[in-house]
Amino acid sequence: MKVEVEGTDKFGTDSYVALFNGILLDVGLTRMVEAVKFIVRPSDPLFLISVRTRKSMSLVKISEIADVSRTESGTMVTIRDENYAPRLLTFLWRKYGRDMIEQLSRLEIFCRGVPEHDISALELDPGEELRSKVLDAIWRLLPEGFKIRHNISSENITTVAATEHDMKKEWIELASRVHSEMGGHDA
Amino acid sequence: MHKVMMFDGGVYRIVELYELVEDVGGFVIQKTQIQVGIVVTLVVPEEEIPAIEKKTQELGGKLTDVPLGGTEIAVVAPTLGRHHMPHPVCDIAEQLRRYGAITVVMGLARGKGRQTAQISADEKATIEEYDAAVFVLGNFEDCIVKEKIRLFESIEIPVLVVCGPEIDGLPNCEGLVTGVPRKAERMRRAEEIEKLEEVAESLGRIITTRRREKDEDPLFVHPAEIRQRIESMDVVKKSLRPAPIVLHLDGLRIKIPFEEWRDSLADIEVFGRRLEEVATISGARIGGSTLIRILSRSEVQARDARRSTAAA
Repeated sequence: MKVEVEGTDKFGTDSYVALFNGILLDVGLTRMVEAVKFIVRPSDPLFLISVRTRKSMSLVKISEIADVSRTESGTMVTIRDENYAPRLLTFLWRKYGRDMIEQLSRLEIFCRGVPEHDISALELDPGEELRSKVLDAIWRLLPEGFKIRHNISSENITTVAATEHDMKKEWIELASRVHSEMGGHDA
Repeated sequence: MHKVMMFDGGVYRIVELYELVEDVGGFVIQKTQIQVGIVVTLVVPEEEIPAIEKKTQELGGKLTDVPLGGTEIAVVAPTLGRHHMPHPVCDIAEQLRRYGAITVVMGLARGKGRQTAQISADEKATIEEYDAAVFVLGNFEDCIVKEKIRLFESIEIPVLVVCGPEIDGLPNCEGLVTGVPRKAERMRRAEEIEKLEEVAESLGRIITTRRREKDEDPLFVHPAEIRQRIESMDVVKKSLRPAPIVLHLDGLRIKIPFEEWRDSLADIEVFGRRLEEVATISGARIGGSTLIRILSRSEVQARDARRSTAAA
């Protein structure tokens, strides 16, 4: 992992780098993060972090990871690749609600009243989980009182500038510049 | 000055140790028996320690110093959020317990942030119920030196500050330990354990100084003596709360409701007087507890003098 640090307080920035390494270990992202840039100016106060992850896997069609069959009252999904089971169940719950999605056994999901072709056409995005983990790691890291935040997110880069009172225009510009330097574009 | 010591040995002839402790004017504050082994926490006058050591050798036991024994310490974090908890706050609290203290971990309601960090009068008063407070702060020197010092500026008990950056000194506190920044994992490496020991030793020095100051005008009665009288109360025996009686440097915290038990506590006899005459008894800010602060000998004398003048 490439780490770049700019800051007015050497001890503070160094210990935040160490802390970030610890947090990445906790959330299981150590091997997924390619580069990180910190800009830390406690006297402003500004805390800026930009994280670039490896490209995540592309979209996966449900028919690639599970057998989908029609029944009288809905669609039965039998998962073939167990790695996707929790993600698929969460995805279906979020899309159709818990009333319509029932987990019959470890790998069998029954979708009440949902047509087969609807389920077969769905796609899972593994990158979404990665992005949410990266955000979780960043939120754990940021000083707790820095609640005013500006987020920039593109496919595999997340940049967050945080401060305590007002977010200045120049800090937003700085965040955009850092985001571009990391290889991203504003989304 | 009294010191808290821990005897670790066997139950054979242990009564001899109890008798010796009583003879030298000390107290047994806790006994934990595990089959034929026993751990006894004692409070003995400093000058009598050689006699206790001799008896310990005779009984084949081990005597260790418990520098923070008989104290209750508040470990204060800016908040109870995951940014500060459980590491390093809980690691520090655990280390202090190993040195004999009873610890309480506290988070401030609005302690987060730099300029926005605040402490309320209520929080200060709660912290002041303890013997000392350890404030665990963050990583930025600028933030600690310019802003965070306000958090402990008018706290009347000794304060030890633990923080990350190497700072030469801070106002408003009795001690400072640096090199303990925010952490995402337990402090278990050799250098981290050394830091934890430094924190405990530094607090030990502060408590010893406090004990010596108190010794210049000694308490009317040692808190451990009051404890012996209180622990026989049914309500204390039946209390399910951990450590229902906690010793302080100048009194005790009893985890029974003040309103309900104030009269029974006030009537406890201490050397021919009622406890109320030699101590102040009040409700603690943390619900369901009672605080007893024992007056010093000169305070009791002054009180007696005022009473006799009023009677005349």
